[in-house]
Amino acid sequence: MTLIEAIIHYTYFIMAAIMGLLLLRNFFKREKKLGLVYDIVYIYCVIPFLLRVLYIK
Amino acid sequence: MNALKKPMTQKIICIVVALVLTVISGYSFYEQRHYKETVVVSDALTEVQWLSDYVPELKGTFGDTPIFVFDSGVEGGSALICGGTHPYEPATSIAAYVLMENIQVEKGKVFVIPQSSYSATTLGVQGNAYPATVGVTTEWGEVRYKIGERNTNPLDQWPDNFTYINYPSGQSQAYNDLRNLNRCYPGRLDGTFTERVAYAIMEVIRQNNIDISFDYHEASIMYPVVGTYVAHDRAMDIAMMAAMDLSSSEFDMKIEQSPGSLKGFTHREWGDYSDTLAILMETPEPFIDRIVGPMTEELMTTGQDLFLSFAGEKGLTYVPYDLETGWPMETRVGRHLSGCAKAIQYMGMFYPEKELVATWPLYNELVEKGVGAFLHDPSTADPNFVYEV
Repeated sequence: MTLIEAIIHYTYFIMAAIMGLLLLRNFFKREKKLGLVYDIVYIYCVIPFLLRVLYIK
Repeated sequence: MNALKKPMTQKIICIVVALVLTVISGYSFYEQRHYKETVVVSDALTEVQWLSDYVPELKGTFGDTPIFVFDSGVEGGSALICGGTHPYEPATSIAAYVLMENIQVEKGKVFVIPQSSYSATTLGVQGNAYPATVGVTTEWGEVRYKIGERNTNPLDQWPDNFTYINYPSGQSQAYNDLRNLNRCYPGRLDGTFTERVAYAIMEVIRQNNIDISFDYHEASIMYPVVGTYVAHDRAMDIAMMAAMDLSSSEFDMKIEQSPGSLKGFTHREWGDYSDTLAILMETPEPFIDRIVGPMTEELMTTGQDLFLSFAGEKGLTYVPYDLETGWPMETRVGRHLSGCAKAIQYMGMFYPEKELVATWPLYNELVEKGVGAFLHDPSTADPNFVYEV
């Protein structure tokens, strides 16, 4: 059970990294909603994922 | 060409600002996760153990926390005192530190775990905004103690299940109580991170044959179980006598029996899964009431809040409350120190073979002199007695 717990725990970190990368990709490459406000929203949303992947928060 | 350049410049500026925000917030979170509290223990200290001595799987994790042992060398009773089960109730760990800095033991031994849920000291309550630490003023300067969370850090145990089922009772509880140490007892070795911490504390009690165990807590004053002992069935006589004695001599103290069907709590599982006499204690902490104004360091220190005083006037609080008095830190720390001293005294009367004779500052001294008067300066103390927790 401890092993399964650990696998799930680290899988969620990997998922956080994937989500962060997806947001970062959409920050650079997207076809709709190209304004500054959306840039700010995308990059702001990357921060918590980055902090989680860095094992800080 | 210019049309292409402008969005790229805009994105670069956004990235730079985001990185600055990440560094600022990340530094603050990192500091909170790695902050150490300093304690100058009394010369009665005989040994420092770790939870990982009992559960080696905890070594090197944020679940590992020190256990300070004060052994008189004279055969007698033993007590375990746990602060910081919920680190956002800091009078519990501060009470443990005041005890550790001043304790003398004449008979029996005392074990103290000042930060029982260490991982939960490394963050604040998610969604709340309050200071990471609280200061205690002394003659030689200020000491700062952590105000942590209720539950262990998601960095150590994540994700939360949709439902938390307590082991071994099978009782369903709130999902995030999976990270609440005081819902995870008796714990299990092959369980979650928090269950392993709970199991380790159970092992401390079982392997050392601890006679009486205290779990320090603080409660919001609009919560019925405040200013109270909650005692396991076998500890009821002791807690009842101690509550009556305290109420007639020092301060009002209520008493409740641990409900048999309430699983995962110290006052239930410590007693059910070991021979110890288990007692949980709650002091009033206005800081965590739902209706208070700004959650400032002053509110934590004084317990004075205007909104709460309106509730107090209308009789909606479960302990007396007025704005002028509040519930200051020294009162809360003193209640814990006198509360467990009195129960230990009655344990010796009920069970003479378990008599434990130990002294530390009590309620009246704390109220008169303040917490800072009982803390020692680490810069002038013998380095052998200075520890970081």
